[in-house]
Amino acid sequence: MNELARLAVDSAQRAGAAFADARVERVLVEDLLVRNGELALSNAREELGIGVTVRAHGAVGFAAQPLGGARDTSGAVAAARRALSIARQLAPAMSRAQDFAPEPAHRGSFHTPMEIDPFSVPLSERIELLLAAEQSLCGRPEVVAREAGLSLRREERWHVSSDGLDVHQTLTRTGAGIAATAIDGGQCERRSYPASFGGDFAGRGYEHVLEMNLMGHGERVRDEAIALCRAPACPAGERDLILMGNQLMLQIHESVGHPTELDRALGAERDLAGGSFATPAQLGKMQYGSSIVDLIADSTVAGGLDTRGWDDQGTQSGRWPIVEGGRFVGFHTSREWAARIGELRSRGAARAESWYHPAIVRITNLSLMPGTWKLDELIADTENGVLCDTVKTWSIDQQRVNFQFTTELGFEIKNGKKARLVRSPTYQGRTLEFWNSCDAICDADHWRLWGVPNCGKGNPMQVAEMSHGAAPARFRKVNFVA
Amino acid sequence: MGLITGASALEVAAQIVRESPAAETEVTLEHGLERFARFAAEGPTQSADRERHEFAVRVRLDEGGGLREARASVAGNSLADGRRALARAIELARFAPVNPELVPMGGAVDVRETFAPPQTLAHSFEEKARWIRAALAACETAELEPAGLIQSTALARAIVNSRDRAVFGQTGRHGFSLTASGGGGAGLAQSFGAEPDQVDHASVIRKAVDKALASRAPLALEPGEYPVVLEPLAVSAILLFAAYQGFGAREVEEQSSFLCGRDGARLWPAALSITDDPQNPLMPALAFDGEGTPKSTVKLVDSGRLCAPVTDRHYARRRGTSSTGHAQAQPAVCGPAPQNMVVASGNSSLEELIAGIERGLLVSQFHYTNAIDSKELLLTGMTRNGTFLIEGGRVVRAVKNLRFTQSLLEALAGLTDLGRTGEAAGALFDGEIVTPPMSLARFRFTSSTDF
Repeated sequence: MNELARLAVDSAQRAGAAFADARVERVLVEDLLVRNGELALSNAREELGIGVTVRAHGAVGFAAQPLGGARDTSGAVAAARRALSIARQLAPAMSRAQDFAPEPAHRGSFHTPMEIDPFSVPLSERIELLLAAEQSLCGRPEVVAREAGLSLRREERWHVSSDGLDVHQTLTRTGAGIAATAIDGGQCERRSYPASFGGDFAGRGYEHVLEMNLMGHGERVRDEAIALCRAPACPAGERDLILMGNQLMLQIHESVGHPTELDRALGAERDLAGGSFATPAQLGKMQYGSSIVDLIADSTVAGGLDTRGWDDQGTQSGRWPIVEGGRFVGFHTSREWAARIGELRSRGAARAESWYHPAIVRITNLSLMPGTWKLDELIADTENGVLCDTVKTWSIDQQRVNFQFTTELGFEIKNGKKARLVRSPTYQGRTLEFWNSCDAICDADHWRLWGVPNCGKGNPMQVAEMSHGAAPARFRKVNFVA
Repeated sequence: MGLITGASALEVAAQIVRESPAAETEVTLEHGLERFARFAAEGPTQSADRERHEFAVRVRLDEGGGLREARASVAGNSLADGRRALARAIELARFAPVNPELVPMGGAVDVRETFAPPQTLAHSFEEKARWIRAALAACETAELEPAGLIQSTALARAIVNSRDRAVFGQTGRHGFSLTASGGGGAGLAQSFGAEPDQVDHASVIRKAVDKALASRAPLALEPGEYPVVLEPLAVSAILLFAAYQGFGAREVEEQSSFLCGRDGARLWPAALSITDDPQNPLMPALAFDGEGTPKSTVKLVDSGRLCAPVTDRHYARRRGTSSTGHAQAQPAVCGPAPQNMVVASGNSSLEELIAGIERGLLVSQFHYTNAIDSKELLLTGMTRNGTFLIEGGRVVRAVKNLRFTQSLLEALAGLTDLGRTGEAAGALFDGEIVTPPMSLARFRFTSSTDF
């Protein structure tokens, strides 16, 4: 496959490209979902294709097509020619040439570390696990939908460029989860474990699924779904908020990750996703959060969904601060956007969903660093608050300022004690005020990575995956809406 | 490079069906071509000329005890790809639990033929560059920042099954959208058609620039309840949630739909009628669903009264009816859902809708709308790309963006008037409807922002 990528790059260069880059990718996906005793989804997908990026006359062109196999040289050459043709035709519309920040020519390979290759686990064993997990949600008539899902993805990628890049990566992602939907008293509520929207995902092997102990949580998840139907709605008003990790990860994603994508900040995403309140002029100046808030981007962290050797422009993975001691200090960048603000190198955050997509700036693994609190101490220290757990729904404006999030479950906290269960706690705020109100973060014992497998961005939209590490944290005087 | 033809696709698909040892087999062959250029202030930022294939095989095995079902796909279009998909689907199905609820696959049907116009893909990147230059020049003159997309797509799909169903269709679509922003204002305009001649790029540029200029220097407005005129992009961003979460038979059966307990109820004013219409010319669509069933035109709301939900073959049998042709590709995580909702137009111009409001808001678009409660369709989202205060029946100034938290059911109960011209309009989370602008007596805005 490496030869096909090399052939595409050479063809483009011979035809006059100033730069060429080719990714040959084999993608394997397997999604299984048991729903109410039936295998509601059993979808296996296999792809092999090539994506070629070419720079000529200051413009960039991209072409992608499926490959018939390792000997499909005509497909590789055709994609290179089409990419070059696009760059030539679009060049007259460029008012400024698209330059790339330099990057050393890397060579090597990277494979997601794992204990158990999920694709090697017998299918019968995987389906049995899901049937048993779904069964663990049975036993109550109020539950109308019981779901247990498992999702596997493997991308093997051969990436070559005219800069001398020659790398091979095999990235594996594993995810699973259970959910129960209950109807009682006219109310419909859903409860999930370990996270909503398919569960939790990681750049790991099948050990990630086994560690979840899905069956061990079924009864609790089922009973909480029913209890939520009977619980009062969370009252409106101003109170302290304790966010559990599986909600805090979305808060990080939406209100820190997306605003710090440099292409957004420079206006290139306004046609769909929007812009950002965080601009290059504010780097090193803006107080993003309180002094205990450290948010670190890291495409090398173990188990991350975006943990890899190199990004889709061949930039080496790394670790860098986005917010340090509460101060805004960094962006997610790609080579072309880093060059726009005079940065010497890209941070390596350019990714494509697959061979079919051009690389764009994406959030990488972005985590809130742990603090010093124990969760019990944090609850005991809270006089009037709500503890919110698991994403239910979310919305944030086009500049990433005004957000409103709802979680599956909430517990009121009164005088340092967990009190009654409340449904659909909905909190609303503004990004900078919110992060500056963070006054306590739990310690490393409570910290873990949470996977986001469905981040949409771009136009046409493409999906990326990344992880966010978080321990429960407290935010003061947050506005709850009914 | 052209789209796969019906004869070729149907023959390859039929060959795999013939080779399958399964009790029932369905083959879906899909071919997509797409050419797009995306741009911002300094010209094109991304582009692609790309092609994809999908050879998907669904099998039902009966190896004792009942039918077991699974699906597998390979990104290719050759017989070898089809055979690999078939082998994988059989392997998966062997381990699936027996499913006594499976409805036999559908038999032979006649479907309306649809075609992708050759002109759609003939729109060259050179021509796209000319449109981009025109957009950049207009924005530069008006001191605005552009961001936009020109996209040409064509899709062909064939479905063949072992009960003699064999359907094929193509669709083509060309679109141009421009967001112009600056000085605190922003405007989005877009136009779609089956082919480039149906897209007036000059008009799109003019509308986006005009709206951006009109919405500059917005003033803050207190959140609260206001009468509103919603333009099509605002209507689509809220009404699509009724499609995602209510108008499908699965949600009704599982009691999570807003239709539950409201059978045939007149929930909204008689002026409101919504139809799922796969033949609407503003929304080119295939004539059959994910099971190869012809898509029916279905009334969802008839003069304000709720109608029955849309179905696929499984839910149609459970309800004792015929499938309305709204299946996803099977087996599916999601149930049947409308794909081509059309809101019936009224008689008023946009200016007349505005003239009917003493003090309220004109909303161009809602952004990042999401549902808090599916049974009441309680939604939240932000205004975007032009929000204006109406006083004395006319637009008096731009206002800063506001967040709403509002039940769609209650909002539509306050429908006071509908525009006379329907437009195709989408939303951030996918989907598209055809709708005119509409005015509503009450809409609850719950917080504000600084821009």
